[in-house]
Amino acid sequence: MKRLAGSVNSLFLVLVYLFVLGPALVIVADSFNSATSFPSPFESATLKWYRQMLAHDEFLASMQISAIVALLSALIATALAIFAAYALIRHPLRGKNALSTFLMGPLLVPQIVIGLAMLQLIGQLGLRIGLTGLVLVHAVYILPFALRLVMASLARFEFVLEEAAQSLGAGRLRTLWHVTLPMIRPGLASGFIFAFILSFVNLPVSLFLTSPQTATLPIVMFAYMESRIDPLIAAVASAILIATAVASLVLERVFRLRLFG
Amino acid sequence: MTAGSTSSPAVVARWQAYLPLVPALLFLAVFLIAPLAATVWSSLSPNVVIKFEGHGFDNFRYLFGKAYYIETILRTLRIALIVTLIALAVGYPAAYILRDLSERIGATMIIVLTFPILTGPLVVVLGWMILLSDGGPLIHPLTQMGWLKPLRLLGTETAIVIGLVHFTLPFVILTVFSSLKQIPDDLLEAARSLGAGRLQVLARVVWPLSLPGVLSATLIAFSLAASAYISPHYLGGPTQLVLTTLVGQFILATFNSELASAAAILLLVIMAAIIFAFTRFVTRFIRG
Repeated sequence: MKRLAGSVNSLFLVLVYLFVLGPALVIVADSFNSATSFPSPFESATLKWYRQMLAHDEFLASMQISAIVALLSALIATALAIFAAYALIRHPLRGKNALSTFLMGPLLVPQIVIGLAMLQLIGQLGLRIGLTGLVLVHAVYILPFALRLVMASLARFEFVLEEAAQSLGAGRLRTLWHVTLPMIRPGLASGFIFAFILSFVNLPVSLFLTSPQTATLPIVMFAYMESRIDPLIAAVASAILIATAVASLVLERVFRLRLFG
Repeated sequence: MTAGSTSSPAVVARWQAYLPLVPALLFLAVFLIAPLAATVWSSLSPNVVIKFEGHGFDNFRYLFGKAYYIETILRTLRIALIVTLIALAVGYPAAYILRDLSERIGATMIIVLTFPILTGPLVVVLGWMILLSDGGPLIHPLTQMGWLKPLRLLGTETAIVIGLVHFTLPFVILTVFSSLKQIPDDLLEAARSLGAGRLQVLARVVWPLSLPGVLSATLIAFSLAASAYISPHYLGGPTQLVLTTLVGQFILATFNSELASAAAILLLVIMAAIIFAFTRFVTRFIRG
Protein backbone atom coordinates (compact mmCIF):
# COMPACT_ATOMS: atom_id res chain seq x y z
CA MET A 1 0.00 0.00 0.00
CA LYS A 2 2.77 2.39 0.98
CA ARG A 3 4.76 1.31 -2.10
CA LEU A 4 1.76 1.91 -4.29
CA ALA A 5 1.25 5.38 -2.81
CA GLY A 6 4.95 6.03 -3.37
CA SER A 7 4.86 5.13 -7.05
CA VAL A 8 1.63 7.06 -7.62
CA ASN A 9 3.38 10.06 -6.06
CA SER A 10 6.44 9.64 -8.27
CA LEU A 11 4.30 9.28 -11.37
CA PHE A 12 2.36 12.44 -10.47
CA LEU A 13 5.58 14.38 -9.92
CA VAL A 14 7.03 13.17 -13.23
CA LEU A 15 3.88 14.32 -15.04
CA VAL A 16 4.02 17.73 -13.34
CA TYR A 17 7.65 18.19 -14.34
CA LEU A 18 6.96 17.05 -17.91
CA PHE A 19 4.24 19.69 -18.06
CA VAL A 20 6.54 22.36 -16.59
CA LEU A 21 9.52 21.57 -18.82
CA GLY A 22 7.67 20.29 -21.91
CA PRO A 23 7.40 23.55 -23.86
CA ALA A 24 11.06 24.38 -23.27
CA LEU A 25 12.17 20.90 -24.40
CA VAL A 26 10.06 21.19 -27.55
CA ILE A 27 11.65 24.54 -28.43
CA VAL A 28 15.19 23.29 -27.91
CA ALA A 29 14.46 20.14 -29.96
CA ASP A 30 12.91 22.15 -32.79
CA SER A 31 15.83 24.58 -32.86
CA PHE A 32 18.15 21.68 -33.81
CA ASN A 33 15.70 20.16 -36.31
CA SER A 34 16.81 20.48 -39.92
CA ALA A 35 13.23 20.23 -41.29
CA THR A 36 12.27 23.56 -42.86
CA SER A 37 8.50 23.33 -42.47
CA PHE A 38 7.41 24.05 -38.93
CA PRO A 39 6.46 22.36 -36.69
CA SER A 40 7.45 19.01 -38.16
CA PRO A 41 8.84 15.64 -36.97
CA PHE A 42 12.54 15.53 -36.17
CA GLU A 43 14.62 14.88 -39.31
CA SER A 44 18.27 15.39 -38.48
CA ALA A 45 20.32 17.55 -36.16
CA THR A 46 21.63 20.85 -37.47
CA LEU A 47 23.09 24.11 -36.24
CA LYS A 48 21.95 26.09 -39.30
CA TRP A 49 19.20 27.97 -37.43
CA TYR A 50 21.74 29.18 -34.89
CA ARG A 51 24.04 30.24 -37.74
CA GLN A 52 21.11 32.13 -39.27
CA MET A 53 20.44 33.78 -35.94
CA LEU A 54 24.04 34.97 -35.69
CA ALA A 55 23.78 36.41 -39.20
CA HIS A 56 20.49 38.17 -38.48
CA ASP A 57 21.29 41.86 -37.94
CA GLU A 58 17.98 42.73 -36.29
CA PHE A 59 18.27 40.04 -33.63
CA LEU A 60 21.89 40.89 -32.93
CA ALA A 61 21.24 44.63 -32.64
CA SER A 62 18.29 44.03 -30.32
CA MET A 63 20.38 41.74 -28.12
CA GLN A 64 22.79 44.63 -27.61
CA ILE A 65 19.92 47.01 -26.77
CA SER A 66 18.51 44.46 -24.32
CA ALA A 67 21.91 44.00 -22.70
CA ILE A 68 22.36 47.77 -22.28
CA VAL A 69 18.85 48.25 -20.88
CA ALA A 70 19.21 45.26 -18.54
CA LEU A 71 22.65 46.35 -17.34
CA LEU A 72 21.66 49.94 -16.59
CA SER A 73 18.30 49.13 -15.04
CA ALA A 74 19.77 46.34 -12.90
CA LEU A 75 22.49 48.75 -11.68
CA ILE A 76 19.91 51.39 -10.76
CA ALA A 77 17.58 48.87 -9.08
CA THR A 78 20.37 47.18 -7.12
CA ALA A 79 21.81 50.51 -5.92
CA LEU A 80 18.37 51.70 -4.76
CA ALA A 81 17.74 48.30 -3.19
CA ILE A 82 20.99 48.33 -1.19
CA PHE A 83 20.12 51.56 0.61
CA ALA A 84 16.43 50.76 1.05
CA ALA A 85 17.13 47.24 2.31
CA TYR A 86 19.74 48.59 4.72
CA ALA A 87 17.24 51.02 6.23
CA LEU A 88 14.53 48.35 6.47
CA ILE A 89 16.74 45.71 8.08
CA ARG A 90 19.26 47.67 10.19
CA HIS A 91 16.99 49.38 12.69
CA PRO A 92 13.45 48.67 13.81
CA LEU A 93 11.55 51.39 11.94
CA ARG A 94 8.09 52.67 12.61
CA GLY A 95 5.95 52.05 9.54
CA LYS A 96 8.37 49.44 8.22
CA ASN A 97 5.60 47.22 6.85
CA ALA A 98 3.90 50.04 4.99
CA LEU A 99 7.22 51.19 3.54
CA SER A 100 8.27 47.76 2.33
CA THR A 101 4.81 47.11 0.90
CA PHE A 102 5.09 50.35 -1.06
CA LEU A 103 8.54 49.39 -2.34
CA MET A 104 7.14 46.00 -3.43
CA GLY A 105 4.36 47.91 -5.20
CA PRO A 106 5.55 47.31 -8.77
CA LEU A 107 4.80 43.61 -8.20
CA LEU A 108 1.12 44.42 -7.74
CA VAL A 109 0.78 46.39 -10.97
CA PRO A 110 0.41 44.33 -14.16
CA GLN A 111 3.56 44.75 -16.25
CA ILE A 112 1.66 46.03 -19.24
CA VAL A 113 0.12 48.72 -17.01
CA ILE A 114 3.58 49.77 -15.74
CA GLY A 115 4.60 50.29 -19.38
CA LEU A 116 1.36 52.00 -20.37
CA ALA A 117 1.61 54.35 -17.38
CA MET A 118 5.11 55.44 -18.38
CA LEU A 119 3.86 56.02 -21.92
CA GLN A 120 1.05 58.24 -20.59
CA LEU A 121 3.45 60.29 -18.45
CA ILE A 122 5.90 60.72 -21.32
CA GLY A 123 3.04 61.70 -23.62
CA GLN A 124 1.51 64.21 -21.20
CA LEU A 125 4.89 65.84 -20.55
CA GLY A 126 5.37 66.14 -24.29
CA LEU A 127 8.57 64.06 -24.20
CA ARG A 128 9.61 61.43 -26.68
CA ILE A 129 10.10 57.74 -25.95
CA GLY A 130 13.75 56.76 -25.87
CA LEU A 131 16.31 54.63 -24.15
CA THR A 132 16.13 56.61 -20.88
CA GLY A 133 12.43 55.94 -20.36
CA LEU A 134 12.95 52.28 -21.19
CA VAL A 135 15.78 51.92 -18.66
CA LEU A 136 13.80 53.71 -15.93
CA VAL A 137 10.64 51.69 -16.44
CA HIS A 138 12.65 48.45 -16.36
CA ALA A 139 14.30 49.61 -13.12
CA VAL A 140 10.83 50.16 -11.63
CA TYR A 141 9.74 46.67 -12.65
CA ILE A 142 12.81 44.85 -11.26
CA LEU A 143 13.26 46.90 -8.08
CA PRO A 144 11.12 44.60 -5.86
CA PHE A 145 13.07 41.52 -6.94
CA ALA A 146 16.44 43.16 -6.25
CA LEU A 147 15.13 44.49 -2.96
CA ARG A 148 13.88 41.11 -1.84
CA LEU A 149 17.21 39.39 -2.51
CA VAL A 150 19.33 42.13 -0.93
CA MET A 151 17.03 42.16 2.13
CA ALA A 152 17.33 38.39 2.46
CA SER A 153 21.11 38.57 2.55
CA LEU A 154 21.19 41.58 4.88
CA ALA A 155 18.86 39.75 7.26
CA ARG A 156 21.60 37.16 7.78
CA PHE A 157 24.32 39.81 8.28
CA GLU A 158 25.79 40.21 11.77
CA PHE A 159 25.51 43.93 12.45
CA VAL A 160 27.89 43.52 15.41
CA LEU A 161 30.63 43.69 12.76
CA GLU A 162 29.50 47.21 11.87
CA GLU A 163 29.62 48.26 15.47
CA ALA A 164 33.12 46.81 15.73
CA ALA A 165 34.24 48.81 12.69
CA GLN A 166 32.66 51.97 14.01
CA SER A 167 34.18 51.54 17.46
CA LEU A 168 37.54 51.35 15.68
CA GLY A 169 36.85 54.77 14.18
CA ALA A 170 35.32 54.03 10.76
CA GLY A 171 32.51 56.38 9.67
CA ARG A 172 29.09 55.19 8.52
CA LEU A 173 29.75 55.18 4.77
CA ARG A 174 33.23 53.74 5.24
CA THR A 175 31.75 50.93 7.30
CA LEU A 176 29.09 50.28 4.69
CA TRP A 177 31.62 50.23 1.84
CA HIS A 178 34.43 48.28 3.53
CA VAL A 179 32.55 45.96 5.89
CA THR A 180 28.87 45.48 5.16
CA LEU A 181 28.77 45.43 1.36
CA PRO A 182 31.73 43.03 0.94
CA MET A 183 30.08 40.65 3.40
CA ILE A 184 26.81 40.55 1.51
CA ARG A 185 28.44 40.42 -1.94
CA PRO A 186 26.78 37.09 -2.87
CA GLY A 187 23.34 38.54 -2.14
CA LEU A 188 24.13 41.67 -4.15
CA ALA A 189 25.46 39.65 -7.05
CA SER A 190 22.45 37.34 -7.15
CA GLY A 191 20.08 40.32 -6.85
CA PHE A 192 21.86 42.02 -9.72
CA ILE A 193 21.97 38.96 -11.99
CA PHE A 194 18.34 38.08 -11.27
CA ALA A 195 17.27 41.67 -12.00
CA PHE A 196 19.37 41.68 -15.18
CA ILE A 197 17.73 38.49 -16.48
CA LEU A 198 14.20 39.65 -15.65
CA SER A 199 14.82 42.87 -17.56
CA PHE A 200 16.52 41.11 -20.47
CA VAL A 201 13.62 38.73 -21.18
CA ASN A 202 10.76 41.12 -20.45
CA LEU A 203 8.23 42.02 -23.12
CA PRO A 204 5.11 43.66 -21.60
CA VAL A 205 6.93 46.47 -19.77
CA SER A 206 8.69 47.59 -22.98
CA LEU A 207 5.81 46.93 -25.36
CA PHE A 208 4.67 50.56 -25.80
CA LEU A 209 8.02 52.21 -25.12
CA THR A 210 10.35 51.19 -27.91
CA SER A 211 11.17 52.72 -31.26
CA PRO A 212 12.93 50.87 -34.11
CA GLN A 213 16.21 52.22 -32.71
CA THR A 214 15.54 50.96 -29.17
CA ALA A 215 13.78 47.66 -29.89
CA THR A 216 14.82 45.08 -27.30
CA LEU A 217 15.22 41.39 -28.11
CA PRO A 218 11.75 40.42 -26.77
CA ILE A 219 10.22 43.25 -28.82
CA VAL A 220 11.91 42.03 -32.00
CA MET A 221 10.81 38.47 -31.20
CA PHE A 222 7.26 39.76 -30.62
CA ALA A 223 7.20 41.52 -33.98
CA TYR A 224 8.67 38.46 -35.69
CA MET A 225 6.16 36.07 -34.09
CA GLU A 226 3.23 38.25 -35.21
CA SER A 227 3.87 37.15 -38.78
CA ARG A 228 5.47 33.72 -38.52
CA ILE A 229 6.69 30.87 -36.32
CA ASP A 230 9.73 29.11 -37.70
CA PRO A 231 12.90 27.28 -36.63
CA LEU A 232 14.86 30.55 -36.56
CA ILE A 233 12.69 31.99 -33.78
CA ALA A 234 12.95 28.62 -32.01
CA ALA A 235 16.74 28.99 -32.13
CA VAL A 236 16.55 32.49 -30.63
CA ALA A 237 14.19 31.27 -27.90
CA SER A 238 16.30 28.25 -27.11
CA ALA A 239 19.45 30.39 -26.93
CA ILE A 240 17.69 32.45 -24.25
CA LEU A 241 16.55 29.26 -22.51
CA ILE A 242 20.03 27.78 -22.44
CA ALA A 243 21.59 31.06 -21.26
CA THR A 244 19.11 31.49 -18.40
CA ALA A 245 19.39 27.82 -17.42
CA VAL A 246 23.16 28.26 -17.11
CA ALA A 247 22.69 31.54 -15.24
CA SER A 248 20.28 30.01 -12.76
CA LEU A 249 22.67 27.13 -12.08
CA VAL A 250 25.45 29.66 -11.50
CA LEU A 251 23.18 31.65 -9.20
CA GLU A 252 22.36 28.53 -7.23
CA ARG A 253 25.84 27.00 -7.08
CA VAL A 254 28.04 30.08 -6.75
CA PHE A 255 25.80 32.52 -4.94
CA ARG A 256 23.47 30.08 -3.15
CA LEU A 257 20.50 32.04 -4.38
CA ARG A 258 17.21 31.16 -2.73
CA LEU A 259 14.36 32.76 -4.57
CA PHE A 260 11.81 31.12 -2.35
CA GLY A 261 11.78 29.53 1.06
CA MET B 1 22.01 69.28 23.66
CA THR B 2 19.62 68.96 26.55
CA ALA B 3 17.60 65.89 27.24
CA GLY B 4 14.08 66.09 25.91
CA SER B 5 14.87 68.58 23.16
CA THR B 6 13.79 67.51 19.68
CA SER B 7 17.38 67.20 18.51
CA SER B 8 18.47 64.65 21.11
CA PRO B 9 20.80 61.98 19.67
CA ALA B 10 18.14 59.26 19.76
CA VAL B 11 15.73 61.33 17.68
CA VAL B 12 18.41 62.30 15.20
CA ALA B 13 19.36 58.64 14.80
CA ARG B 14 15.70 57.75 14.20
CA TRP B 15 15.23 60.38 11.58
CA GLN B 16 18.49 59.45 9.89
CA ALA B 17 17.50 55.79 9.87
CA TYR B 18 14.85 56.65 7.26
CA LEU B 19 17.28 58.51 4.98
CA PRO B 20 18.53 55.52 2.96
CA LEU B 21 14.92 54.82 1.95
CA VAL B 22 14.51 58.20 0.30
CA PRO B 23 16.10 57.41 -3.10
CA ALA B 24 13.97 54.29 -3.65
CA LEU B 25 10.78 55.98 -2.43
CA LEU B 26 11.37 59.02 -4.63
CA PHE B 27 12.22 56.80 -7.57
CA LEU B 28 8.92 54.92 -7.32
CA ALA B 29 6.99 58.13 -6.68
CA VAL B 30 8.33 59.69 -9.87
CA PHE B 31 8.49 56.66 -12.16
CA LEU B 32 5.55 54.56 -10.96
CA ILE B 33 3.07 56.68 -9.00
CA ALA B 34 3.26 59.76 -11.22
CA PRO B 35 2.84 57.62 -14.37
CA LEU B 36 -0.16 55.89 -12.79
CA ALA B 37 -1.64 59.28 -11.95
CA ALA B 38 -1.07 60.30 -15.57
CA THR B 39 -2.93 57.14 -16.60
CA VAL B 40 -5.89 57.94 -14.35
CA TRP B 41 -5.92 61.47 -15.81
CA SER B 42 -5.82 60.08 -19.33
CA SER B 43 -8.67 57.64 -18.57
CA LEU B 44 -10.83 60.61 -17.50
CA SER B 45 -9.84 62.75 -20.48
CA PRO B 46 -11.99 63.61 -23.48
CA ASN B 47 -11.66 61.05 -26.22
CA VAL B 48 -11.26 62.51 -29.68
CA VAL B 49 -11.95 59.23 -31.42
CA ILE B 50 -15.40 58.73 -29.94
CA LYS B 51 -16.15 62.44 -29.57
CA PHE B 52 -16.35 62.84 -25.79
CA GLU B 53 -16.07 66.36 -24.49
CA GLY B 54 -14.74 67.45 -21.12
CA HIS B 55 -13.31 65.32 -18.33
CA GLY B 56 -15.40 62.56 -16.84
CA PHE B 57 -16.16 58.88 -16.79
CA ASP B 58 -17.18 58.69 -20.44
CA ASN B 59 -14.38 56.26 -21.34
CA PHE B 60 -15.46 53.87 -18.59
CA ARG B 61 -19.12 54.29 -19.51
CA TYR B 62 -18.21 53.43 -23.08
CA LEU B 63 -16.42 50.22 -21.99
CA PHE B 64 -19.31 49.16 -19.77
CA GLY B 65 -21.83 49.98 -22.49
CA LYS B 66 -20.64 47.37 -24.96
CA ALA B 67 -21.30 43.65 -24.55
CA TYR B 68 -17.95 43.01 -26.23
CA TYR B 69 -16.00 44.73 -23.45
CA ILE B 70 -18.15 43.27 -20.68
CA GLU B 71 -17.36 39.84 -22.11
CA THR B 72 -13.66 40.78 -22.07
CA ILE B 73 -13.84 41.67 -18.37
CA LEU B 74 -15.73 38.48 -17.54
CA ARG B 75 -13.31 36.39 -19.59
CA THR B 76 -10.37 37.90 -17.68
CA LEU B 77 -11.91 36.96 -14.34
CA ARG B 78 -13.13 33.54 -15.48
CA ILE B 79 -9.70 32.58 -16.80
CA ALA B 80 -7.90 33.89 -13.70
CA LEU B 81 -10.28 31.94 -11.44
CA ILE B 82 -10.00 28.65 -13.34
CA VAL B 83 -6.22 28.98 -13.61
CA THR B 84 -5.92 29.65 -9.87
CA LEU B 85 -8.02 26.60 -8.98
CA ILE B 86 -6.14 24.24 -11.32
CA ALA B 87 -2.73 25.55 -10.28
CA LEU B 88 -3.60 25.03 -6.60
CA ALA B 89 -5.11 21.59 -7.20
CA VAL B 90 -1.96 20.45 -9.02
CA GLY B 91 0.58 22.54 -7.14
CA TYR B 92 -0.37 21.60 -3.60
CA PRO B 93 0.07 17.83 -3.98
CA ALA B 94 3.27 18.42 -5.95
CA ALA B 95 4.68 20.60 -3.18
CA TYR B 96 3.58 18.03 -0.59
CA ILE B 97 5.44 15.25 -2.42
CA LEU B 98 8.51 17.49 -2.91
CA ARG B 99 8.61 18.17 0.83
CA ASP B 100 9.22 14.51 1.60
CA LEU B 101 12.03 14.06 -0.93
CA SER B 102 15.61 13.88 0.30
CA GLU B 103 17.40 17.20 0.70
CA ARG B 104 19.62 16.65 -2.36
CA ILE B 105 16.98 15.62 -4.88
CA GLY B 106 14.43 18.05 -3.47
CA ALA B 107 16.82 21.01 -3.84
CA THR B 108 17.53 20.16 -7.49
CA MET B 109 13.83 19.73 -8.25
CA ILE B 110 13.19 23.16 -6.75
CA ILE B 111 15.88 24.82 -8.89
CA VAL B 112 14.34 23.25 -11.98
CA LEU B 113 11.08 25.04 -11.14
CA THR B 114 12.83 28.42 -11.27
CA PHE B 115 13.91 27.89 -14.93
CA PRO B 116 10.55 28.85 -16.46
CA ILE B 117 10.29 31.81 -14.06
CA LEU B 118 13.67 33.13 -15.14
CA THR B 119 13.21 32.59 -18.86
CA GLY B 120 9.88 34.35 -18.77
CA PRO B 121 6.68 33.58 -20.65
CA LEU B 122 7.62 34.87 -24.12
CA VAL B 123 10.14 32.11 -24.78
CA VAL B 124 7.98 29.41 -23.25
CA VAL B 125 4.75 30.41 -25.02
CA LEU B 126 6.43 29.52 -28.30
CA GLY B 127 6.63 25.95 -27.00
CA TRP B 128 2.89 25.96 -26.32
CA MET B 129 2.17 27.34 -29.78
CA ILE B 130 4.00 24.32 -31.16
CA LEU B 131 2.53 21.79 -28.71
CA LEU B 132 -1.08 22.95 -29.01
CA SER B 133 -1.15 23.30 -32.79
CA ASP B 134 -2.88 20.52 -34.68
CA GLY B 135 0.30 19.87 -36.65
CA GLY B 136 2.43 19.73 -33.51
CA PRO B 137 4.18 16.73 -31.94
CA LEU B 138 1.45 16.24 -29.32
CA ILE B 139 -1.73 16.27 -31.37
CA HIS B 140 -0.56 15.35 -34.87
CA PRO B 141 0.38 11.71 -34.10
CA LEU B 142 -2.93 11.16 -32.28
CA THR B 143 -5.00 12.53 -35.15
CA GLN B 144 -2.92 10.50 -37.64
CA MET B 145 -3.85 7.32 -35.78
CA GLY B 146 -7.47 8.39 -35.67
CA TRP B 147 -7.60 8.62 -31.88
CA LEU B 148 -8.40 12.29 -31.91
CA LYS B 149 -10.13 14.79 -34.14
CA PRO B 150 -8.16 17.99 -34.84
CA LEU B 151 -8.77 20.14 -31.76
CA ARG B 152 -8.03 23.65 -33.03
CA LEU B 153 -6.90 24.57 -29.52
CA LEU B 154 -4.99 27.69 -30.50
CA GLY B 155 -7.16 30.77 -30.30
CA THR B 156 -9.41 29.31 -27.61
CA GLU B 157 -9.88 30.04 -23.94
CA THR B 158 -8.69 26.51 -23.16
CA ALA B 159 -5.31 27.31 -24.71
CA ILE B 160 -5.00 30.45 -22.60
CA VAL B 161 -5.84 28.46 -19.47
CA ILE B 162 -3.23 25.81 -20.31
CA GLY B 163 -0.58 28.47 -20.93
CA LEU B 164 -1.39 30.34 -17.73
CA VAL B 165 -1.56 27.23 -15.54
CA HIS B 166 1.91 26.47 -16.86
CA PHE B 167 3.04 30.01 -16.10
CA THR B 168 1.63 30.16 -12.54
CA LEU B 169 2.27 26.56 -11.43
CA PRO B 170 5.97 27.02 -10.47
CA PHE B 171 5.09 30.05 -8.32
CA VAL B 172 2.33 28.08 -6.58
CA ILE B 173 4.51 25.02 -5.96
CA LEU B 174 7.39 27.14 -4.62
CA THR B 175 5.13 29.18 -2.33
CA VAL B 176 3.29 26.17 -0.91
CA PHE B 177 6.56 24.25 -0.64
CA SER B 178 8.18 26.90 1.51
CA SER B 179 5.20 26.96 3.88
CA LEU B 180 5.18 23.13 4.07
CA LYS B 181 8.92 23.17 4.85
CA GLN B 182 8.22 25.26 7.93
CA ILE B 183 6.11 22.50 9.49
CA PRO B 184 8.46 20.60 11.83
CA ASP B 185 8.85 16.89 11.08
CA ASP B 186 8.42 16.16 14.81
CA LEU B 187 4.85 17.32 14.60
CA LEU B 188 4.04 14.81 11.87
CA GLU B 189 5.90 12.10 13.80
CA ALA B 190 3.85 12.91 16.88
CA ALA B 191 0.59 12.69 14.94
CA ARG B 192 1.64 9.36 13.42
CA SER B 193 2.73 7.90 16.74
CA LEU B 194 -0.68 8.81 18.14
CA GLY B 195 -2.19 6.61 15.47
CA ALA B 196 -3.07 9.03 12.67
CA GLY B 197 -2.90 7.58 9.14
CA ARG B 198 -1.32 9.36 6.16
CA LEU B 199 -4.55 11.03 5.12
CA GLN B 200 -5.41 12.04 8.66
CA VAL B 201 -1.99 13.65 9.15
CA LEU B 202 -2.50 15.52 5.89
CA ALA B 203 -6.03 16.67 6.67
CA ARG B 204 -5.66 17.48 10.37
CA VAL B 205 -2.05 18.65 10.70
CA VAL B 206 -0.40 19.57 7.40
CA TRP B 207 -3.30 21.26 5.62
CA PRO B 208 -4.32 23.64 8.46
CA LEU B 209 -0.70 24.64 9.09
CA SER B 210 -0.08 25.31 5.41
CA LEU B 211 -3.12 27.58 4.98
CA PRO B 212 -1.12 30.85 5.06
CA GLY B 213 1.03 29.47 2.23
CA VAL B 214 -2.07 28.41 0.30
CA LEU B 215 -3.53 31.88 0.78
CA SER B 216 -0.49 33.64 -0.62
CA ALA B 217 -0.21 31.10 -3.45
CA THR B 218 -3.86 31.83 -4.31
CA LEU B 219 -3.24 35.56 -4.42
CA ILE B 220 -0.05 35.17 -6.47
CA ALA B 221 -1.70 32.81 -8.97
CA PHE B 222 -4.77 35.00 -9.35
CA SER B 223 -2.86 38.23 -9.87
CA LEU B 224 -0.35 36.63 -12.24
CA ALA B 225 -3.18 35.12 -14.29
CA ALA B 226 -5.26 38.30 -14.40
CA SER B 227 -2.28 40.48 -15.33
CA ALA B 228 -0.62 38.18 -17.85
CA TYR B 229 -0.28 39.51 -21.37
CA ILE B 230 1.80 37.05 -23.36
CA SER B 231 -0.21 33.83 -23.02
CA PRO B 232 -3.58 35.47 -23.79
CA HIS B 233 -2.02 37.31 -26.74
CA TYR B 234 -0.44 34.30 -28.42
CA LEU B 235 -2.71 31.45 -27.32
CA GLY B 236 -6.02 33.33 -27.34
CA GLY B 237 -5.48 36.03 -29.91
CA PRO B 238 -7.85 38.80 -30.99
CA THR B 239 -11.01 36.69 -30.66
CA GLN B 240 -10.33 35.89 -26.99
CA LEU B 241 -9.39 39.28 -25.59
CA VAL B 242 -8.73 39.79 -21.88
CA LEU B 243 -8.15 43.18 -20.24
CA THR B 244 -4.38 43.17 -20.78
CA THR B 245 -4.61 42.28 -24.45
CA LEU B 246 -7.41 44.81 -24.81
CA VAL B 247 -5.03 47.49 -23.51
CA GLY B 248 -2.47 46.26 -26.03
CA GLN B 249 -5.00 46.45 -28.85
CA PHE B 250 -6.12 49.95 -27.92
CA ILE B 251 -2.51 51.19 -28.07
CA LEU B 252 -1.04 49.12 -30.89
CA ALA B 253 -4.04 48.71 -33.22
CA THR B 254 -6.61 51.43 -32.66
CA PHE B 255 -4.29 54.09 -31.16
CA ASN B 256 -6.81 55.06 -28.51
CA SER B 257 -4.76 56.10 -25.52
CA GLU B 258 -7.75 57.16 -23.37
CA LEU B 259 -9.59 53.84 -23.71
CA ALA B 260 -6.32 51.97 -23.09
CA SER B 261 -5.88 53.94 -19.87
CA ALA B 262 -9.48 53.28 -18.83
CA ALA B 263 -9.08 49.54 -19.45
CA ALA B 264 -5.79 49.51 -17.51
CA ILE B 265 -7.28 51.37 -14.54
CA LEU B 266 -10.27 49.05 -14.65
CA LEU B 267 -7.95 46.03 -14.47
CA LEU B 268 -6.07 47.52 -11.51
CA VAL B 269 -9.25 48.40 -9.63
CA ILE B 270 -10.89 45.01 -10.24
CA MET B 271 -7.76 43.13 -9.15
CA ALA B 272 -7.32 45.28 -6.04
CA ALA B 273 -10.99 44.85 -5.09
CA ILE B 274 -10.91 41.07 -5.51
CA ILE B 275 -7.63 40.66 -3.63
CA PHE B 276 -8.88 42.90 -0.83
CA ALA B 277 -12.24 41.14 -0.55
CA PHE B 278 -10.65 37.70 -0.67
CA THR B 279 -8.09 38.55 2.04
CA ARG B 280 -10.82 40.02 4.25
CA PHE B 281 -13.00 36.96 3.76
CA VAL B 282 -10.19 34.54 4.52
CA THR B 283 -8.92 36.33 7.63
CA ARG B 284 -12.45 36.48 8.99
CA PHE B 285 -12.93 32.81 8.15
CA ILE B 286 -9.70 31.82 9.92
CA ARG B 287 -10.51 33.85 13.01
CA GLY B 288 -13.83 32.00 13.01
